Parts: sequence; C-alpha cells; structure tokens
Amino acid sequence: MDKLSLVGLTKQYAQGIAPAVDRLDMNVEEGHLVSLLGPSGCGKTTTLRMVAGLMDPTAGQILVDGSDITDTPVHRRGMGMVFQSYALFPHMNVHENVAFGLQMRKKSKREQDALVTQALEMVQLGHLAKRPVKALSGGQQQRIALARALVVEPTLLLLDEPLSNLDAKLRETMRTEIRQIQQRTRATTLFVTHDQDEALAMSDRIAVMNGGLIEQFGAPSEVYERPRTRFVANFIGRANLLTVAVREESPQPGGDSRYAVDVPGFGVFPAVGEPGLRGQRTLLIRPHRLSAAPVVPGVDGLDGVVESLSYTGDSVSYTVRVGEQLFAAERLTSGADHLAQGDRATVSWRAEDALVLPESLEE
Amino acid sequence: MTATQTLAEARATGPYLASGEQEKRTKRRNRRIALALVIPGIVGLAVSFLFPLVYMIRMAFNEGSGNGIVVETFTFSTILDPLTDSYYWKVTADTFLMGLVVGVLCIVVSYPIALFLARTQSKWMGLLLAAALAPLLTSAVVRTYGWMVLLGDDGLVNSTLLGIGLIDSPIRMANSMSGVIIGLVEIFMPYAILAMISGFGRISTQLEEAAGSLGANKAKVFFRITLPLSLPGVLTAFLLVFVLSISTFVTPRLLGGGVVQVLATEIYDQATGLLNWPFAAALAIILLVLFGAVISVYQALIKKIGG
Amino acid sequence: MTTTAPVPFRKKFAWGGLAFKTVVVLAYVFLLAPLLIVFVISFSSNRYLSFPPEGFTFEWYQALPQQTQFIEGLQTSLLTASITTVIVLLIAVPATLAIDRYDFVGKAALSGLFLSPLLVPTIVLALGLVLVLGPLGLTNTYTSIVIGHIAITVPYVVRTTLMALQTSDTSCEEAARVLGANGTTVFWRVTLPIIRPGVIAGAVMAFIVSFDEAVISLFVAESGRPTLPVHVLRYVENSADAVVAALSVILILFSVLIVVIVERVVGLKNAL
Repeated sequence: MDKLSLVGLTKQYAQGIAPAVDRLDMNVEEGHLVSLLGPSGCGKTTTLRMVAGLMDPTAGQILVDGSDITDTPVHRRGMGMVFQSYALFPHMNVHENVAFGLQMRKKSKREQDALVTQALEMVQLGHLAKRPVKALSGGQQQRIALARALVVEPTLLLLDEPLSNLDAKLRETMRTEIRQIQQRTRATTLFVTHDQDEALAMSDRIAVMNGGLIEQFGAPSEVYERPRTRFVANFIGRANLLTVAVREESPQPGGDSRYAVDVPGFGVFPAVGEPGLRGQRTLLIRPHRLSAAPVVPGVDGLDGVVESLSYTGDSVSYTVRVGEQLFAAERLTSGADHLAQGDRATVSWRAEDALVLPESLEE
Repeated sequence: MTATQTLAEARATGPYLASGEQEKRTKRRNRRIALALVIPGIVGLAVSFLFPLVYMIRMAFNEGSGNGIVVETFTFSTILDPLTDSYYWKVTADTFLMGLVVGVLCIVVSYPIALFLARTQSKWMGLLLAAALAPLLTSAVVRTYGWMVLLGDDGLVNSTLLGIGLIDSPIRMANSMSGVIIGLVEIFMPYAILAMISGFGRISTQLEEAAGSLGANKAKVFFRITLPLSLPGVLTAFLLVFVLSISTFVTPRLLGGGVVQVLATEIYDQATGLLNWPFAAALAIILLVLFGAVISVYQALIKKIGG
Repeated sequence: MTTTAPVPFRKKFAWGGLAFKTVVVLAYVFLLAPLLIVFVISFSSNRYLSFPPEGFTFEWYQALPQQTQFIEGLQTSLLTASITTVIVLLIAVPATLAIDRYDFVGKAALSGLFLSPLLVPTIVLALGLVLVLGPLGLTNTYTSIVIGHIAITVPYVVRTTLMALQTSDTSCEEAARVLGANGTTVFWRVTLPIIRPGVIAGAVMAFIVSFDEAVISLFVAESGRPTLPVHVLRYVENSADAVVAALSVILILFSVLIVVIVERVVGLKNAL
C-alpha cells in the first residue's frame, strides 16, 4: 500500500477564481522522497500545507497508510515538518527545540535525552546541544530543524523549500546530507522546491506542478528524458521546442515509434516518440544534443547565424538564428570548432534525440 | 475513520468530496475562539470607558442646578447655557489659545532635540533618548511642582534675575497663565519629541548632502529640504500637544493658583464643587467638540502635505 | 592649475555646528529643569520654596516616614496600579491575540476601540466615571480607581503586544502544532514566551501610567484612601515646604529603577 495518497485534493480560495490546487491525485511509496517541483504559485506549498494539516482542503482526501486523515487536526497527524525559515523556537536552546515533539508525546525525561542526543548525532551537531538557537548559522539551524522533525519518527517528513535560504555551496552540501539522512531513516518525504537541480538530484519521484495541477509524475530520469508536456520539457533542463505536425508514424518493436514531422519553414524531419501521436505536437531537442558547427559544404543541417554565445568554463552555449527560429546549442569546451558571434553555423541533430511530446496542441 | 480503503473506495465515499465543508467548520471554530478571547476586553472597556462616556453625554441633556440636583429630561438648554455665557466663551477661548501657544512653543523647543536624536550616530543616542523620555515616568503633579518652584516669586528664575539686577521686582509667572504655558511646554516636550522622531525617519542625511553638493549653504538646506520634509512629523506633534493642552487639568490648577480658568478646571469645579453635573457634562461636550474639530483639521492638512 | 590636498570625507551629520549643539543642550536643560530643581530643593534647608538654598539638609527625607498621608497614598497607588496592571494584562493580551491571529467581522473596529481611550481627554473620562460610580456608591474605593485606570492603560498593553505579535514568526507556532501541540499549549509554550518582551513593556507602561495618574483618581476617589498623586496634589495646593520635593525625588528614582531593571531583564528597546 502507498504511504501517502492524495485523492482529488483541491484548494479554492474563493468562488470563481482558479483553484490553487486542482483535483490532485498522487501516490507516494513508503520510503520515497518525492519532490513537488514547480514555479511559484503552482500550488506545491499549498499542497504540502494541506498534507500537514495547516490548511483545510476545499475538497478531496488525504490518506496515510490507507487511513483518511483529511479531518484529523494538525497536532494529531504525527508528521514532521521543516519550514523555509526553520522556525526554531528562539527562546529555547537546541536540546529543548529538538525535545519539544517528544514532550508533546509525553516521553520520559530519560527517553527524551537519549533520543535527542541520537538525533543531534545524526546531523553531527551533538556538541551544540546547550547552545541558544539564535547563535547558530543558517546551515546549523537547518540541521537542527531536521533533527527536530525526525526525532519523533514522523509518519511523513515534509520539507518546505528548506534550502532556499542557504548560499549555493551550502545548498549543495545540505542536499546530499538531507538525502542521506532521509534514506537512512527511510522516512517517506515530500519536498517542495522550485529548483530543478535539487529535485533531480535528490528525488525518487518528481511531481512537476503547474497551475494547481501535476503535469507529470515520475522518476527524475523519466521526467528529464521523456517529458510529457511542453511545460515540463521547459521547466526541467533547457529545451529547444518546435511546434510540428506529425506526418507519418512507423511503429517499432520495443516501444517508441519513429515519426516524420513537418517543421514549418524547415521541412520534414525524423523523430521518435511514444506510439499513437497525431496532429500538432511539440518537438523537443535538448541543447546538448543539438550540434552547432561551422558551415561545411555538403553537411546536412539548418544553416543560420550565431546570435550570441556564453562561455561558462566547462561548457559553451550558443544561440543560432535560422530564419525565424532561435536554436540553443550547448557543448563542452574542447578547443576545436570555435564559433564566434556573427559566424555562420550549421545546426543539426540525430533523429533519436528529437522527441515528440505526447501533449496535444490542438484543443 | 481508521479503516483502510482502496483508492477507488476512498474516491467513492469520502466525506469531503463536497466543497468547502471543512473550511467552513474551521472558520466557525476560529470565530468562536476569537470571540472568547475578545469578550473580557470588550466588557472591561465597556465598563471603564464606553458606558461612562455615553452616560456623561446623556447627562448633558439633563437639567441641573448644583448640589447634585438633577432633573431627568432631554433638553439642549444645558448645553446652550455656556454657549450663551460670555464668561464661558472666555474660558473656552482661553483654553483654545493656551493650546495653540503651548503647541507652537513646544514644537519650537522640541524640534532641535528631535532633529538631533533622529540623526545622530553618537553612541550616547540611547542615553539621550532615554533622558528625553524619562520625564514621562513622573507624575504631572511632580513636574508641575518643579515649575512652581522655578517660577514662583521667590523661585529660581526670579531670584536669579533679581540677583543679576535685570529686574527690580519679581515677574509674576506662577499663579498666572504665562507660568502655566511655560510649564505645559516643558511637560509635553517628550510627547512632541517622540512624535517628531517618528516623523523624521524620512529625512536622510544623504538628501542634505546632495543639496549641499548642489551649492546650497547650511541655512538653505535647512529651510528648503529639512524643514519641509519634517513637516508631517511637526504637524503630528503639534496636534498631540494641542490636544493634551486643552484637556490638561493638574498644571493649570496648580500653576494657575486659582487665577487661571480653563475648561478642565471649570469641569472640575462644576462636578465636584458645585455638584452641577449636567453643566459639567455640557462643558465636557464643548471640550470634545473642540477636540474633534482640531483632529479633523489635522487629518485634512496631513492629507494635503502628504504625510 | 594647482592641485590641492583632498578634503577628508567627513561622515558627520550636516548639523554638527556648534550653534546647533548649543541649542540642543539648552533645550535639554529646559526639559529637565523641573526635575533638577526638585532634586536641589529636596536638600535645601529653606523654610519656603525660595532660592537660593541656604543650606544642605536631609530633614525633608527624614520627615517623610512621618507623613502618614504619603505612606497611605503610596500603599493605595501601589495596590491599585498592581491590580490594574494584572487585570489589564488578562483582558488585553487575549484580545490582542485575537485581533492579530484571527479573522472575524469588525476586527478593525475592535482594534480601534482598544486604542481609542488615548484619544479622549482624561478629564472627560474622569467626569463620566464619577457620574456613573457616584450613584452606585462606588466612589472613594479602590474599585473605582482600578475601573477608572483600566481604560487609560489598556491601549499601552494592546500596542506593545500587537507589535510583538506582528513581528513574530508564525511558522514557529505552526512548527509547534505539527510537533503535536494543541492550541493552548502553543500559546503558553511558544507564542507567549516569544512576545514576552512586548507584553512586559506594556505592563510596565500600564503600571507607571496608573501609578502617576492624578485626574481620574482625583475625580473618583478624592476622599477615603486616595492615591499618592492626589495626596501630593492636595499638599502642594496648601503648603509650601520641600517635603514634597523629597518625595518626588524618591518617586523619580523608583520609576527609573523599575525601567532599568526591566530593560536589563527583558530588553525593552526591542519592544518599543
């Protein structure tokens, strides 16, 4: 049985305006870390808060271990939550903060001390037990908040953009740490973030949300390699998206079909995709699968002009204008094949790297 | 509900598939809690504030003739009485003028301190601010007493002036309106300073430095930049001091020595001396009207100068 | 063109002029004059409030314990101020909590109501109180003083508590709830400790305002056991000796002491 199930979960703040969360269905396996990923306003935090019980749903249900907890009050849900601001109690020291949940559960003083020590060891901050929380750095506060949430052995661990307030270097370190702790404790976790790198790196599953809906739910590789909609393709990683018309399909053994798609203004190109796609669709080519090279006579591709380039040490990215369309290409720097701004360049890609997205563009 | 269900079962039978039920229940619960929290406060203020105020206003429509004799009726005559009596016109005018003079003088004296405190970066700022506000810790009686000593015929001011030979005989300050005004100006300074400091937040030294670099000398900077920007704070401070002055009782009573009559002292005499309660209430209403009129003017002015 | 040495950039504020500083000092002298003079007079051996002092003496301080009316007045004031403060805390803090953390019809009006006593002239309120309490036979009792003082002290507690609530992080309260605390527990273990400085600042202000208050106390409790300010008022109206000065100095020191202690313990600066 799934650890967490959301059934038709809806939040609508007032009649007549669009729901913040729109009939969400989602299932989370025990022990998984699931990211709720999306731009601000997509409903991910609202969903998290409804699961926590801090907000009432307008409709729908929340099931944990098969039981309906939708009308269970917050303080009886037994969950653990880490807030964006960490929300450590400023008038208590570290030990008292972490012990709070245990006190609510009426644990004996001895038990409390043992569990708190254990929790602090897990986040490697045992030596700060008596420190007032105001004296801690951002990263330390975050780890204490995590310890406080985990020490009560919560049914679910809820993380609301816990890394947003940290600087870039620290964010990366904490990312790995949180994931390790989560895996060790096997806590089923919901993780809200707007940072796709975080989601890709940490999650067992990602729910990409937009406008109150889940556009796609799947493993990171799936969401990245096989996005189902234009939005997901754009949100995760960088993308070249072309509106195309499907002309022919030749089904292949073992899943994907080969397609011939008409790219307006450029002709017909081969592509791949799941079977059964027709009509107007989006064609996705990831920039690092798109090659931009100096024009060599006889080599196939689209000819255009390099409009801009940006060099980031590891890689270089170009935007090449071909007619009305801008193509983004990315490449690891290698020393050969330098292109400068204003140069003429040929853009090309392999058929297997051109993906037809399942999302239909027709009404 | 603790029985486990399949997803399909849950979808079919869930109690909250209907919209908004849970939200409504929570809203109702919260309203009840809020009500419970607020009721003691409302009761306390009703007893201590609202009811006495309403009762007093009602009393002004009764008729009285002193000695606690009150005729329950509804008439405007009691209120009209002081309005048709030249003595009370004088008292009201005196009260109003006193408020104006005290307001203006208080602003003038407090402005330098407020400006200084709002902009100084000295490490003594906290101490100086505390010193400016410390007088608020003492009773008006104590401070008025201090002024009685300072301004009396044998007091510090007169003794000094006589001693230097600037005057031949003591200036009458205590037991006169001038003494009351001087005393009130000082007593209300902390209020004015506080009001102006919060109003001055908007004036940054950068603005003044910019003006200076554009060629304005110190005086110009003050009159063209600092002063106009500080106007909302000054206006608020003036209102505060004016309103406090026209309502104040202790200082006019003590420093006025029975000679100074303002609305507050008249109300006291009528209420506790002559026991003419409707009349005292009528005077109080006049005071309230004066009050309300000034506040309205203030709000109109603040809107104009964009506080 | 000759080059001149660069003028060091002085980050002083523009009005560092000597003239301005002198004006400020004079203004401070004027502000603190009555308190200073009271201090001086309390040690002066003059029979009457005259200047200059003829000699130094402690006699006025030594005479204080015999001034039974002042002792009685002090007891009354301490008692009524304490009771008032406690009552006001009990009724104003929950109400302020409701105003800031809950939503209900008429919230803005209620908030205005709690702050409105500051807008009404004290003498008007005093009159209303004596008119109501007189027929009820409640005048000249501690009750009348407390009732009268509740109105004028509530706004102070509401203001500081409201500010403390508004600047506090509500996620702490949410975190406590997720950890298993019900509403009451959240208030006692999380909210209240966080807003404590603001509440205490309000309580101190309420106490001092009630203690120093003269007009309402004069109207509702002129005889019986009046408060200290009323006693002082009557004494000053009639006599001209410096016992009052000695008393005043002690009261001033007492108030300053309270504020300093609370500031040390609680850190009032943040609450104001």
